Amino acid sequence: MTRIERINFLLDKYWNCETSVPEERELQTLLSSKDVPEELRHLSALFSYVKDEQSVSPSGDFDRGLKKKLEQGQDDGKQNAYVTIRIFRPLLRVAVSALLVLGVGISLYFIAKQDNRPRFVETYRDPNVAMQQATLALEKLSHALQQTETASVQTIYLIDELDIDWSAIDSLSNPVLPETDSLTQRKEGGV
Amino acid sequence: MNSDSFHTVILPLKDKFFRLAYSIVRERAEAEDIVQDVLLKLWNRRDEWDYIENLDAYCFRMIKNLSLDRLSTLNMRQTGTIDPERENVHFIDNRSPDSEMEGKEQHYVIERCIRSLTENQRLVFTLREIEGMSYREIAEALDISEDMVKISLHRARRKMKDLLSGYRDNHV
Repeated sequence: MTRIERINFLLDKYWNCETSVPEERELQTLLSSKDVPEELRHLSALFSYVKDEQSVSPSGDFDRGLKKKLEQGQDDGKQNAYVTIRIFRPLLRVAVSALLVLGVGISLYFIAKQDNRPRFVETYRDPNVAMQQATLALEKLSHALQQTETASVQTIYLIDELDIDWSAIDSLSNPVLPETDSLTQRKEGGV
Repeated sequence: MNSDSFHTVILPLKDKFFRLAYSIVRERAEAEDIVQDVLLKLWNRRDEWDYIENLDAYCFRMIKNLSLDRLSTLNMRQTGTIDPERENVHFIDNRSPDSEMEGKEQHYVIERCIRSLTENQRLVFTLREIEGMSYREIAEALDISEDMVKISLHRARRKMKDLLSGYRDNHV
């Protein structure tokens, strides 16, 4: 394949977007050279333009400026963190103190609120007082039991005096029983 | 990724970032400013690097977005003129004054053609032709599908071909 054939072959592929990046580079080299055929010279401008654009780069100062800014950015980050802590330090102190006082206050409040008084006074150290209190308690209990017993007896007497027909009351409490019996009798009769 | 990786992986890409920004804003100082801003932003977000899947593609997207923002906010006009700093470019060495003039004219035509491309076509064209990136890399960098990359590139090249053919026919 001659040079011109190679260029045309690559150009066909190029216009159809079928070239690879290395083939495009090759085409660029072929068309950027001095001895480009006259019929393809108008295309060499495009590839020369591309080649020219590829050489564009930031100015020399750009790298230095960027490096400086990056370092500055890093320092600013540290500085900002330090400044933030420094500004908030008194506030943090106040907040911690307030929290501490509040915590102690709440604790004391709940401790004071607790009813720590004894539920009863131990009297085993004074047997006489204990005996008196025990006797008193037993007397009260006995009195209450007596009252209950008397009331119960009186109630029983009153009920007896009423002359109630207990069998009628029993039949009211269990009304289904006679019917069941009659049903059973019917079944037995039917059989 | 740590700060060492930033210096070994991301910083070496600064020229590519610059060229992408430059292809959009067409102002050297502005492009440098954009790249610097993006790299500083990225540097200050060091804590987030581990959560970014493809950091260099992420950078390209940041560059693209910031460049487009700057372009719209500064209302920079894309007049199609050649950057004055690069006006004395010689496409082919040892040319005669006539061919040099012709080269400048062709350069102007290409610039104008690139300006006439849609945003996607222009970005894809830049990343493919100038940076030599693969379709997948371009897709990731611009956050579009590979098919979209191929379509945009095909249209951009077709447009370029038609324009250059028209230019040749007019000058024969």
